[in-house]
Amino acid sequence: MKITILNGNMNPQPDVFSNYIENLVAYFDANHNINLFNLNQMDLRYCTGCWNCWWKTPGLCIHQDDGATIFSAVINADVVLFASPIMAGFTTSALKKITDRLIVLLHPYFDIINGETHHKKRYNHYPRFGVLLEKEKDTDAEDLKIISDLYERFAFNFHSEISFVKFIETSTIEEVANGTCNL
Amino acid sequence: MELVIYNGSPRAKKSNSKLLMDQFLQGFNPENPEATTVHYLANRKNREVYKTDYQRADTIILIFPLYCDSMPGIVKEFFEDIYNLPATGSKKIGFIVQSGFPEAIHSTYIEAYLQKLAKRLKCDYLGTIIKGGVEGIQMMPPAMTRKLFANFNLLGQVFAKEGRFDAQIQAKLRMPLKFSPLRLMVNRMLNFTGIGNFYWNINLKKNKAYQQRFDKPFGD
Repeated sequence: MKITILNGNMNPQPDVFSNYIENLVAYFDANHNINLFNLNQMDLRYCTGCWNCWWKTPGLCIHQDDGATIFSAVINADVVLFASPIMAGFTTSALKKITDRLIVLLHPYFDIINGETHHKKRYNHYPRFGVLLEKEKDTDAEDLKIISDLYERFAFNFHSEISFVKFIETSTIEEVANGTCNL
Repeated sequence: MELVIYNGSPRAKKSNSKLLMDQFLQGFNPENPEATTVHYLANRKNREVYKTDYQRADTIILIFPLYCDSMPGIVKEFFEDIYNLPATGSKKIGFIVQSGFPEAIHSTYIEAYLQKLAKRLKCDYLGTIIKGGVEGIQMMPPAMTRKLFANFNLLGQVFAKEGRFDAQIQAKLRMPLKFSPLRLMVNRMLNFTGIGNFYWNINLKKNKAYQQRFDKPFGD
């Protein structure tokens, strides 16, 4: 199974979250192809809304940075794990920065799906999503619902599905790994 | 009222968000619409100024386009910046979320986050204006944007007088939340015939990229 992990942890120092991710990667057996991206160590720019990727160089982003490596690993994965500590009630800006740029993998044309307007697929196959979070001091059930709803909507637009939203505080590495492989 | 406006569009001064806020400010202060401070979050080198002005202001409006079903990354970065600031007295905050999707439903899911964020920031929440169908307004003839701009102008007028978003205009801008079955049928036809893709096709052709529009550079 091809698994792509987008780690949005912004802390440059080793911490509980980065240790958890390292242990998670180590837990997967050799049968799996794991692509871990520690986003804070990569050259990634913000989306500028230029839409070159839709109407100038279809499917390709204008930025000459590490984005293309991630786009390829995302679209060719079976599962993408969006991993991030929660900051100000949502996943980090480092993770949102690359998430915004995943529109390069969609087509600008519209389709009607479930009675709503959505962008058409550019590719035949889209990966399933998992979300792995670390709580901040005031995270509550309402935050979990907000984050889950927003990722469900993103998955819907991305022709994908969310298979799980888990916290590192309450899910063992084994549970997350098994959840990821059994999607 | 010490109002500061933050424009969270990655397109900054070339954004549709700016066009809408220009109309709002015309209504808010017809004599001097440029008197209100407007910050463009895409200019990230000014992040310290954005924080200082956030603390100074008593009223904040943040407008942004919907990116992948929530706030653009630069807006999330701004939220992280102000979240770590000490609370400074009573403050009000309101949001405007616009998107290219023709129905407003897409932008309603971020509303719960914004309301909770206001609480986290210890601000009074002024509500969220949601408007779909905004992409392409820069290309539209004046007749097609007249109503939209008039509503944003009126929104600004009421905000100047009462310090809040007008509920009726807010409700009007949110329409259509979803399309009726009849309209969906029409839209399906427009998409099928290619008429619904006019905006994309005209730009693809202008850039000589029309033949490449279905390219899959990263696989199948």
